[in-house]
Amino acid sequence: MAADSDPESEVFEITDFTTASEWERFVSRVEEVLNDWKLIGSSAGKLSPEKGEYTSGTWGEKCQDINFADFKFYITHHFLKQECEKDDEKDKVEEDAFPLAMQDLLCMNNDFPPRAHCLVRWYGIREFVVISPGTNCEAIISESKCNLLLSSISISLANSGCQVPMFVQIQQKWRRMYAGECQGPGVRTDFEMVHLRKVPSQYNHLSGLLDIFRSKIGCTLSPLPPVNITIRFTYILQDWQQHSWPQQPPDFDTLLGGEVGGVEFGKIPFGACEEPISELHLATTWPHLTEGIVVDNDVYSDLDPLQAPHWSVRVRTAENPQCLLGDFLSEFFKLCCRKESTEEVLGRGSAEDEGKENSDISSALNKLTEPVAPVPISKLSVSNMVHSARKHIRRHRRIDESPLNTDILNSVLLYVFPDAAVEKSSENSKNKPAQSNACGKAEQDKNSDYNLFLQLKSAPIDSLTYRLALCVCLVNYNHGGLRAVAHLWQEFVLELRYRWENNYLIYGLAGGPPDLRCCLLHQKLQMLNCCIERKRARDEARKVLEESKERERKVSGSGQNGRPASESATASASKKEVSPGKSWDSWSDSEDEFFECLSDQGEIEAPHTEGEKDGSKSKAEGRLHPYNNMTLLNSTEPLYIPVTQEPAPMTEDLLEEQSEVLAKLGTSAEGTHLRARMQSACLLSDMESFKAANPGCVLEDFVRWYSPRDYVEEEVVDEKGNTVVKGELSARMKIPGNMWVEAWETARVTPARRQRRLFDDTKEAEKVLHYLAVQKPADLTRHLLPCILHAAILKLKEEEAVEDIPSVRKTIQQATSQASKLLHTPNYDYKKLEDFINQLMAMETVITRARSLKAKFAMCEGEKVEDTDELETFVSSLLEEPEVVVVGAGQGPAGSIIHRLFVNAQRLADFTSDEAALLAPLEEDSGRDRKQTAGSNKVPDFPPPAGREILVRTCVPRPAPYSKALPQRLFCVLMREEFRLAGAFSSDTSFF
Amino acid sequence: MDDDVLTTLKLLIIGESGVGKSSLLLRFTEDTFDPEQSATIGVDFKVKTLAIDGNRAKLAIWDTAGQERFRTLTPSYYRGAQGVILVYDVTKRDTFMKLENWLNELETYTTRNDIVKMLVGNKIDKDDHEVDRNEGLKFARKHSMLFIEASAKTKDGVQCAFEELVEKILQTPGLWESENQGQKLRLGDQEQGGGRACGGYCSIP
Ligand SMILES: Nc1nc2c(ncn2[C@@H]2O[C@H](COP(=O)(O)OP(=O)(O)OP(=O)(O)O)[C@@H](O)[C@H]2O)c(=O)[nH]1
Ligand SMILES: [Mg+2]
Repeated sequence: MAADSDPESEVFEITDFTTASEWERFVSRVEEVLNDWKLIGSSAGKLSPEKGEYTSGTWGEKCQDINFADFKFYITHHFLKQECEKDDEKDKVEEDAFPLAMQDLLCMNNDFPPRAHCLVRWYGIREFVVISPGTNCEAIISESKCNLLLSSISISLANSGCQVPMFVQIQQKWRRMYAGECQGPGVRTDFEMVHLRKVPSQYNHLSGLLDIFRSKIGCTLSPLPPVNITIRFTYILQDWQQHSWPQQPPDFDTLLGGEVGGVEFGKIPFGACEEPISELHLATTWPHLTEGIVVDNDVYSDLDPLQAPHWSVRVRTAENPQCLLGDFLSEFFKLCCRKESTEEVLGRGSAEDEGKENSDISSALNKLTEPVAPVPISKLSVSNMVHSARKHIRRHRRIDESPLNTDILNSVLLYVFPDAAVEKSSENSKNKPAQSNACGKAEQDKNSDYNLFLQLKSAPIDSLTYRLALCVCLVNYNHGGLRAVAHLWQEFVLELRYRWENNYLIYGLAGGPPDLRCCLLHQKLQMLNCCIERKRARDEARKVLEESKERERKVSGSGQNGRPASESATASASKKEVSPGKSWDSWSDSEDEFFECLSDQGEIEAPHTEGEKDGSKSKAEGRLHPYNNMTLLNSTEPLYIPVTQEPAPMTEDLLEEQSEVLAKLGTSAEGTHLRARMQSACLLSDMESFKAANPGCVLEDFVRWYSPRDYVEEEVVDEKGNTVVKGELSARMKIPGNMWVEAWETARVTPARRQRRLFDDTKEAEKVLHYLAVQKPADLTRHLLPCILHAAILKLKEEEAVEDIPSVRKTIQQATSQASKLLHTPNYDYKKLEDFINQLMAMETVITRARSLKAKFAMCEGEKVEDTDELETFVSSLLEEPEVVVVGAGQGPAGSIIHRLFVNAQRLADFTSDEAALLAPLEEDSGRDRKQTAGSNKVPDFPPPAGREILVRTCVPRPAPYSKALPQRLFCVLMREEFRLAGAFSSDTSFF
Repeated sequence: MDDDVLTTLKLLIIGESGVGKSSLLLRFTEDTFDPEQSATIGVDFKVKTLAIDGNRAKLAIWDTAGQERFRTLTPSYYRGAQGVILVYDVTKRDTFMKLENWLNELETYTTRNDIVKMLVGNKIDKDDHEVDRNEGLKFARKHSMLFIEASAKTKDGVQCAFEELVEKILQTPGLWESENQGQKLRLGDQEQGGGRACGGYCSIP
């Protein structure tokens, strides 16, 4: 077994290990590890560490299991990563230089490192090896075991020539007890430790501790070489008193109460509801003292913290302070996982009911609109209509059942649809939304934050979608959770339907086709607006047409071409179309509707018009304007660009559907052909419009406008020697039976306004409204999530800008690009999104910490400007660094504030403990008495230190007066429930 | 069936009408040249699997019509593309001059800013060149694109153009990994209805 586990030593050493004890095997394993880690040989030659390098540098760690019989240990190498010294430098080092660790014992550049292994703090060493019991292994407690381990390492170090100090961890883990050794040429340092629960009274001060040190080094030289002393007291401030956290959670109800309009919405709350900084630790240090300079014994002490030459501070932060933005986000995020549908949440108003309600409203509205039909009422204000529609709904729902209080609902709706508040006095307010959006956009484009919506696939700031998101979030957080959200959504969809049915554009959406870079919900809303716009255009056109026909009829009298009959058909058709609240089967027949309106059927329908040259001029229809002074090939008529139908706008889901359909046709030639045919509706429509606008035209004419590169013109010299330009279709257009020729031949002569609509706005609008109506609250939350994260990021940016915290600024940037990735996938990764939200919350906490610290270290009026700058730097360092030096110690600007904080806390502590009971009843006459009391037993400015650290160092010959002078060090920790002495005592081993 | 396919990539071919986009695609996918290729209407679509460094990538390539009038329609297909091939005709200077417009359009309509772009100067088999190779190079450098001259007719550079583009996309892991799970283009595979609004996090009954 021994051979198995240790094959290497079998090969390289001839010694017989078959009889080796477990102990011998353990020692050789330790040596092997030291060898593997290349810790053998002189460690001297490295420069002594720079000031503060233990904090600024990085520490490395290497770890491995090691067994003693079947007891498992870890062996770990800890080291400060330093730049490698050059090899040749190492050669120069004297053979018998002290090991590095011994030099470190005396080095004063890194006392009390704020973040380091405890052995580093106690012994000042930059590199060491620790052997500690494995997890779930018993602690090494018995003295014999401790000694066995210590002698093992001693032998390993001696055998291997390793100069790195090595420790074993003894006693229970929590006691952090270590014993160890370091060996060098002719020298050795022993690391010893004492750990007690209570500080023995004779050692409760510097002089007692110096006695221990002196007796330990046993130096008999006289006078004794000087002992260097460094002392550090730590005071804890827990009670912030009048500097308590200034922020109160906002009072949401007053924001929304009474007359207040929607302006208060759209703000995201921010800040901590509780103190985010729990403690302040002040460390006061007296470096480089020598015996006799200070007195600190059982009856008297010179050590006044206010006079300490060196102050440093660290803060302890509250673990997860409740913060508003974070709460707001996580409550919203929780909604994403709710399964209830709107009906289930609201308890009543099932789908059929809703349909009935709708038709009720529409009939009510019909009554309203009847006199002016088919053009909707323009005299009433939008706000009146919003209200009348909603009032109607509310009649079906008893008020007390409404999850969302009416006042709140009204203010939310007014915020979301601000145009409804505008008293509509003139017609042009109808067009206002689109215009105001357009100019708003141009302004915002300059702002880089504005483009954040592209990165996050959310929606532009202040768009309808964005505002809705903020409201849903607020309503969820503060006005009734899931049920209120469901209620708001229902009202929102209702308002959209109302606008569609009454031709009112939806405010707060950029015009044009859906912006595919935004979230799907935003696209859907834009789509609905497109539908409303088209419908309005159609209605307008119809009105104009009817008016002109009216005039025409008056002039030419009736009975011609049977026109009156078809006109009345138009009127009835259009009435049918505007009639709101159509059921699903009634929109399906709307496919037969035409682009602008149904009109007289009497015009030329023949596919070929070339023959009918005469009279064609007068029959030209739907001309936009002449095209580049061109004339038709077969006549002298100018070539006109026709009025054409605009292609159908698409949202990303429609588009995906369509591209899936197109992709499914396969990649064969037939597939390609079919695909082209499916997409040729627009081409065909354009051809028909072209034919109508250019009677007598040919395909070549069309191609010259539509695809000029496919009409090849060449200069040729004719028989008479003149150069003439001769044109013809390109080769690919001339292929017989190609799609273009085919389409041209089937195209009828029909102006766009009489063509079948390419985009059925009625159908699409109903589809959108239905889609919206069936979204569950959870779906809605998911739709709006990008907008909320967008708003949260902006809020964090805004708050960070006030506090100016570089680390947060950097994190926001990283988080944004991370969010960009998360939000661009069609299926969100909710686990990652949750992590992301936690990250935002962490940033909020950091900002509130900054804010809290700034409040505490705020300047009093009338103080110097330099001091303000200094305090600002101080606060920002507190946030980013583990421990911060107080410039000027107790006398500097930060120092005096800290002093004041302690004094106030002390006064109050004293007040509450001793005098509170007495003072309350005696308040009136106690003035003088109190002063006397206060004067007689004066409250100290600082509480007793929570911890005292005393570090004594010297270099003396040991063990005999003629030995080499070697580094000696004792680190003492005195706390209320802990007393620790960590000593490192070196001795000359040459002659012993 | 596509178990061995590393990822599906969406590519896009754009450029002025008649520069030979459909011809390049036909050359790449079927290794033929069809002089009877008619002008594309709307968009066309082809699929090809390509092996790059032992990885098989399935390419879904959308060929768009260059004609002005179709342009309102085609940008919708830019969405989610990881690579784009921008083509001009070396014998027609005006097709080169329009490149800037195409890039603008691309910028406006693509959903990602790390899309890999390749510039192809087509029809180098012809004699009457109006655009010098160096001009193409310069343009590509200015806009950080890949560049190659090619001929759909003689095959020159075609395979290479597609391979380079795909390789470049695969070298940009952020570009294709995340999109991989999201790409919904499943040929001949019906999409389950109803579930599209719900993510994987909460189960829908
Ligand atoms: N000589 C030559 N002709 C080519 C080459 N590539 C394409 N062509 C010809 O150029 C014409 C246009 O090619 P297409 O592939 O249809 O062009 P496109 O870019 O798809 O045009 P659109 O679909 O209208 O946008 C056809 O007649 C092709 O035969 C080439 O490399 N060399
Ligand atoms: Mg084509």
